[in-house]
Amino acid sequence: MYFLTDEERKQLLKSYLPKSRQMDIADELRGWNWNQPPLEPVYDIKLALYEIANSYCPTNRDLFLRRIDGVKARPNAAMLRGKLLHQVLVDVLVRAKKLIYLHGVGNYQEFLQEHKIPFKTNFERYRSQLSEEEFSSLARDAEILANFETSRIVARIQEILIKQPYIAEDSLVSLAIPVVVEQKLDGSFLGLSQNLSADAFTFSEPMIIDLKFGEPKKFHRLTTTGYALVMEAIHEFPVNLGCLVYAEFKNGRLSVKKDIHIIDDELRQWFIEERDEKMRMIYEEIDPGIAQNCYDTCPYYRNCLG
Amino acid sequence: MIKLRVTDVKQYIYCPRIIYFTYVCPVEKKITRKMEYGKEEHLELDRLEKRRTFKRYSLSEGERRFHQYLRSERLGLEGKLDMHIVSEGEYFPVEFKHTRKGPSLNHKYQLVSYAMLLEDYYNKPVRYGFLYIIPEKTPYPIQITPNARIFVKDVLEKIREIILKERIPRPNQHKGRCTDCEYRNYCGDVS
Ligand code: SF4
Repeated sequence: MYFLTDEERKQLLKSYLPKSRQMDIADELRGWNWNQPPLEPVYDIKLALYEIANSYCPTNRDLFLRRIDGVKARPNAAMLRGKLLHQVLVDVLVRAKKLIYLHGVGNYQEFLQEHKIPFKTNFERYRSQLSEEEFSSLARDAEILANFETSRIVARIQEILIKQPYIAEDSLVSLAIPVVVEQKLDGSFLGLSQNLSADAFTFSEPMIIDLKFGEPKKFHRLTTTGYALVMEAIHEFPVNLGCLVYAEFKNGRLSVKKDIHIIDDELRQWFIEERDEKMRMIYEEIDPGIAQNCYDTCPYYRNCLG
Repeated sequence: MIKLRVTDVKQYIYCPRIIYFTYVCPVEKKITRKMEYGKEEHLELDRLEKRRTFKRYSLSEGERRFHQYLRSERLGLEGKLDMHIVSEGEYFPVEFKHTRKGPSLNHKYQLVSYAMLLEDYYNKPVRYGFLYIIPEKTPYPIQITPNARIFVKDVLEKIREIILKERIPRPNQHKGRCTDCEYRNYCGDVS
């Protein structure tokens, strides 16, 4: 899912990368300037990155209810589904890395044998939270996803092995699976939680990757932007690119679309503005009111609309 | 639609309260020495620019047009652009800035606004513009990206909202800006 196709690679190399390097990002919007305005947090509150980046509720009342009224809503089916499919992908990628280290390059056949064992994630404990139909669709899609990613990894490894006869495990892992999944980050410099977790990060050209299973939304780019700012604050190197990976299942088939984007001045300002507005709302305990166009699967529907 | 000027975009980004003091609760502001000085430098620069080649803009040839008044009904925006270059069928807005700190965000979006006006004027897309930083004698190329255009439209909307709702915005976070601001005396809650 996180690997780019040949066309996407070309796009990245010929378009996004040179453009992002040429583009002058205002220095005050670089994460490493977290100690001065506008990045310096105004309020002494820590927010999760998704709390800033998500705008599913048009007035952000969900955040108010959670933070001020302490309402604990159960995730809706789409949220749960997204969370579990994410986990499947993480499991497959981490298993592949582990197996390479375990068997070594010399025992590639053993790696293949074990890697081919179908990956089954146990979702049983979530069964009660989903309808029968939702649950079986989730199980089916998880299997499609795991199979797809498994064969993708095998193909990548084989491609590298035929080119690099003297390669060792560590290098093979970094070439075949060049992403760190669930990268843990401390966002406190920017007023974010200490325990952030970016879906994936590639080091070859610093790029934040975020996987989505729902409809594309404009504000999804705020997630990659937030992580880019945090990365810059921690490591003091520029992170100019983000990539949203949209996965969709249709008639038993997986389709993947990618939205590669430059983390430009505008996205950075948008993120900071959202952060400041949401922090203020919480700090001052301002109820933003019920939206006029609530989405019907909102987990807070009952709290707002009875 | 409320008609706005390109300088409003610049001012809004510097501090949204300036919009309030300009349109909702107008107060008198003094022309600072910095502004006068800037004007003189501009005139001198116009004179010099006329004789220079286009090399520093990475263009082989072109024609300079000075102080074009631009207006777009569609955007509800108007302004007078310092200079623009017409080169091989393309148009490049240039704004001269007298600042020691290099290009800033309010200058960038001022330029983007002019680029959008220039597009309406010539009916042609504008891909690049330049912020000419006078003390450095350097033109900084600025790409006019789709996101930057959306950002400007958003700013225009926010400015109109301040005017329509007559609500005073929060002060900006950059305390250094308040120190330099001509409206400082009117901002009661800024120490
Ligand atoms: S019910 Fe409506 S107002 Fe309440 S949190 Fe959900 S979307 Fe927002």
